Amino acid sequence: MPLLELQHSLIAALFQRDQLAEAAKFVKAQGSLSSEQRVGIYRNSAHGILLDYLESLYPVCLELVGTEFFGRTAHSFIDQMPPTRPFLADYGADFAAYLSAHPALQEMLWIVEVAKLEWARHAAWHTVNQVASDFTQLETLSAEQQAELRFQLPASAQLLSAHSPIHSIWLAHQDEYPDKPQFDEIDLEEAQQVLIFREQRRLHQTTLSPDDWAFLNAVQNQATMADLAEQFADQLPWLFSVAMQENWIYSFTTTPDETKPTRNS
Amino acid sequence: MTPNPILGCGIGLRFQHIDQILADKPPIPWLEILSDNYLTPGSVQQDYAIEVAEYYPVTLHGVGMSLGATEPFNDEYFQRLKSLADQVRPAWISDHLCWTAAHGWVSHDLLPLPYTEETIKHVVQRIREAQDRLERRLVIENVSSYLQYQESYLSEWEFLSAVAEEADCKLLLDVNNIYVSAFNHDFDPCKYLDSIPIERVQQFHLAGYEDKGTHLLDTHGQPVSDPVWGLYKLALQRFGALPTLIEWDNNIPSLEELLAEAHKATEAHIHAFA
Repeated sequence: MPLLELQHSLIAALFQRDQLAEAAKFVKAQGSLSSEQRVGIYRNSAHGILLDYLESLYPVCLELVGTEFFGRTAHSFIDQMPPTRPFLADYGADFAAYLSAHPALQEMLWIVEVAKLEWARHAAWHTVNQVASDFTQLETLSAEQQAELRFQLPASAQLLSAHSPIHSIWLAHQDEYPDKPQFDEIDLEEAQQVLIFREQRRLHQTTLSPDDWAFLNAVQNQATMADLAEQFADQLPWLFSVAMQENWIYSFTTTPDETKPTRNS
Repeated sequence: MTPNPILGCGIGLRFQHIDQILADKPPIPWLEILSDNYLTPGSVQQDYAIEVAEYYPVTLHGVGMSLGATEPFNDEYFQRLKSLADQVRPAWISDHLCWTAAHGWVSHDLLPLPYTEETIKHVVQRIREAQDRLERRLVIENVSSYLQYQESYLSEWEFLSAVAEEADCKLLLDVNNIYVSAFNHDFDPCKYLDSIPIERVQQFHLAGYEDKGTHLLDTHGQPVSDPVWGLYKLALQRFGALPTLIEWDNNIPSLEELLAEAHKATEAHIHAFA
């Protein structure tokens, strides 16, 4: 029997329950366990590994929906979207989108938004390190060069705009915060904009004012200093100062963005 | 610079303990780094692994090579693993005699192979290729298993020994896995130990299993069981006081408790030759 056929059959059984009997044809029945039950041990084991991983990625969602609902939904997600890469940390990005289609959550889409926040935290943690710019060099630039300056947020930065208070909900489920909000006192209709980024070995998560949100989005979209001055006018010095103090801006470039159309094009 | 030697009884590095280990630098003979958790180049995870390796002798232990698979190797996986190894300079790299991926899917679980001459040829070629890619001799671990294939006609120890000899690799004998598989497939674990070529064995693993009634499950979630300690003593007598590592992946205890379990293995080393 070719090894390829055996492996295709067994892995299919791990992610498709109706393939268990087919895979069992390759397996000996031993003792009190049938061959199908023995394949089932591997299905349970593979699902168990991935369920543990998803629970570690989405601990607040787990608390919000409960162990049983989370487990059922995660098992279904694993069957429909099995891992395709050997890097486990890449798996689970689609879980929030999967939750958003769940009929039971249609009136509680704030849970989906919390899931997006939890994935953003994971993604920020795993982003590669970067070298910060030396901002004292800004003083050496000509006026023309300064107008073409572009700034960058930390590579790990995740800007989230939610219809619900995702930061407050997340905070309410953190044991280590003594002044955390009480979940039942949170207005679930309150929209929040959130920034998540990593600084060395520390993850930061903060809500943003509408002005800070708009400014950081413009920066992330590679607006030049001239663009920023035009868009934010008198507010710019203040917005820029806050962003620098909070380490929201990490580096700058003076190279023109070639992806952006020029005035003559 | 030559990596520090791996001697005595170490523990698997778990993320819950890293800050404590780096802050307190407790006396730990060596640490096994789960390579799959540290494979993003230039990430904070990798920074941790590199810093730990500055203070402790380390090995890299993985689950993702999929040495027994029929799909081509994942190039990116090997590139990242090689890059990690270049930075932490492990004494050796180990992975399992199993497969994890097929048909474009990755199980992230250790799936057994059929024990046949044809499979030996296939796996030997794959291990040689992996060794070439990593530019070092690999250390291969036996897995615990819950099924046997219809087409298998060799014993697991015959299969493992033949693979090690023909691929010219070393072996990481997981004593708990031998015990779990012996229970699940009703064979004599002592016969297993007695059949493995002594000069091939480089390291032991110890871990806890869970009794599910119909079978034993290799959960790495509790202390090493008494029967496994007994089998470990026999292994020490046959293979010598080789480096041993306590694996604990679920219900992870405090660092102190984990080190106490490693100390039991150290005592077994001492008593085996007293």
